[in-house]
Amino acid sequence: MKLQVKFSLYNAVTKIAIILVLGAIILFSLDRLAYNQLDNRLIKKKNKIIEHLNDDEIDSLLNKQQSFTDYNILKEEFIVLTDIPDSQQDSSAKVFTEKREIEGDIEVYRILNYKFSYHTNWYNLEIGETMTTLQSIKNSIRFYMLIVLVAALLITLVADFTFSNFLLKPFYLIIDKKINLVDDPSHYNYQNIPTSTNDFKILDNSINSLMRKINTLFALEKQFIANVSHELLTPISILSTRFENMLNTPDIPVEHENKIYASLKTLNRLKLIINSLLLISKVENNQYLKTEEISLKQEITDIHEDLEDRIIDKNITYQANLAKDFHFTGNKALIHTLLINIINNAIKYNVEGGSITITDKTEAENYILTISDTGTGMSTELVENAFDRFKRGNSEENGFGLGLAIVQSIAKFHKIMVDVKSIEHAGTSISLIF
Amino acid sequence: MNVLIVEDEKSLALEMDEFLSKEGFIVEHAWKKSSAEEKIFVNSYDFILLDLGLPDGDGFDILKQLKSTKDRDDAVIILTARSAVDDRIKGLDEGADDYLPKPFSLNELLARMHAITRRKHKLEKNEINVHDFLLNIQNRTVAFGEERLNLTKKEFEIFNYLVLNKNRVVSRMSLTEHVWGDILEVNSDSNFVDVHVKNLRKKLAALSPTDWFETVRSIGYRINC
Repeated sequence: MKLQVKFSLYNAVTKIAIILVLGAIILFSLDRLAYNQLDNRLIKKKNKIIEHLNDDEIDSLLNKQQSFTDYNILKEEFIVLTDIPDSQQDSSAKVFTEKREIEGDIEVYRILNYKFSYHTNWYNLEIGETMTTLQSIKNSIRFYMLIVLVAALLITLVADFTFSNFLLKPFYLIIDKKINLVDDPSHYNYQNIPTSTNDFKILDNSINSLMRKINTLFALEKQFIANVSHELLTPISILSTRFENMLNTPDIPVEHENKIYASLKTLNRLKLIINSLLLISKVENNQYLKTEEISLKQEITDIHEDLEDRIIDKNITYQANLAKDFHFTGNKALIHTLLINIINNAIKYNVEGGSITITDKTEAENYILTISDTGTGMSTELVENAFDRFKRGNSEENGFGLGLAIVQSIAKFHKIMVDVKSIEHAGTSISLIF
Repeated sequence: MNVLIVEDEKSLALEMDEFLSKEGFIVEHAWKKSSAEEKIFVNSYDFILLDLGLPDGDGFDILKQLKSTKDRDDAVIILTARSAVDDRIKGLDEGADDYLPKPFSLNELLARMHAITRRKHKLEKNEINVHDFLLNIQNRTVAFGEERLNLTKKEFEIFNYLVLNKNRVVSRMSLTEHVWGDILEVNSDSNFVDVHVKNLRKKLAALSPTDWFETVRSIGYRINC
């Protein structure tokens, strides 16, 4: 998860928590406040009634009846005065909430019940006020609070995201431009990413200085490779031209001639080893460009033409059925070397009258090219070591185990995965996953 | 034809000299950039074999200067052990006629020089006559009188290479490298080349005796003219 998203999520969660706690407190105290208000009003009304009470009024109220009831049209409040037996002890007032039915409508009321004596007569006074209004007020407050909560949450989320986006932008720029996009240190851009955050400045500078070190090392290595190749290849060329001249001298004894030729062959072997190692070093030193448009199908056709005589010589059935004409950008010469190494191995380690099959498929956005042979195969142990330099497949005289090392480094350079499956005495299949 | 070898490694220059002199070239040497520039200023050459890493400078500078001089048609072949990847492209871009990485085979050098000569002097016919076989290098065909030989691409390459190096032994190794290129194949002395030579000889022998097409013991082949 990205840092920015984590920040925003954290902020959102804490804000939700704060708003929920505050909301709960407000709702609870609102409840208390409303009850208090209501109760006070009821008591005030009661006091007013008691204050204005006199005989006439009681008489007119009760109108010779046992009880008097009055309520307003919407039944929001009611008043009940009842004549009760005169054996009461105290004249206390009680406030409670109860359901009452008035003319068939059941509603919840806050009721003040007051027993009092007036001129030796005891009366019971009940004043009720509906709770529905309170409930609806509470509901609307809850509703508005929810809206405010959601709105506040959304606003803070957006604000947080925008701000952290602004704040973290240099960081992501550093990650993108200086880490993700850099596959070749020589094309690294040292320009600092503008930011006022010190931490990012430090990060930026450390990446820059690391890159500088890597670049220096790469340049040194490049220099070293150039020197090594010059120092090693010059003496070889002196010797090989000298041997060639000696071979063309008339009348040298046959045994000497053979020895000279053998020396020439040895030199050639040395040259090939050095060139292979230099090739690997140069690939790993990023000295090649990857700018050519390559058709894999075309390359395979070309290689087949090059190696056709070897295939025929070994009576090998060669089949290359590529479903797709896959194109990609890379270094043509290197890809040619990669493929020729694999296909040549498939020929070299094949049995007389065997077969080589080249197939392709597209799997999960990857293009996969598989070259299978019916050759001698490799043991599991050998497959594991197949890409190690200087470890040779089987124990044949030819090959110095550098072929697969070359394949590996070129594939890595082009970000191609190489998968080797081999069964001893049955064959090997090498898959290139693009 | 005269050749200037610009090479600081004297023993290598002397070996090249020996080989090219036998081929009839007039050879001169320059060990340093300064002396090379002097010589180039005074004389014009048919070929300049140019090493890049000279003790007092870069061979590229010589090439640049030569190419910026008017009316100079010296063919330049870069011979270098400096194996920077872009050297080859740079060299050819600067106007070099060919690029041969060291170590190279002298046979290969000679073949390249012949190829350049043919390219430069377009008036010269693109045909070589070898014991009544007519090689057309342009069309890559071989004819015997009216009859055209049906050679494969590789058979023609082999024949052509041997003819360019006529009267000298061409090793299997050198032949393989020339025909198949340097594909990092170690067993360059394999018998693949023999198979092709055998087929080529069969095709030639069907029309005319080929006693001039010699197998030189275990080493290679030679065409005598």
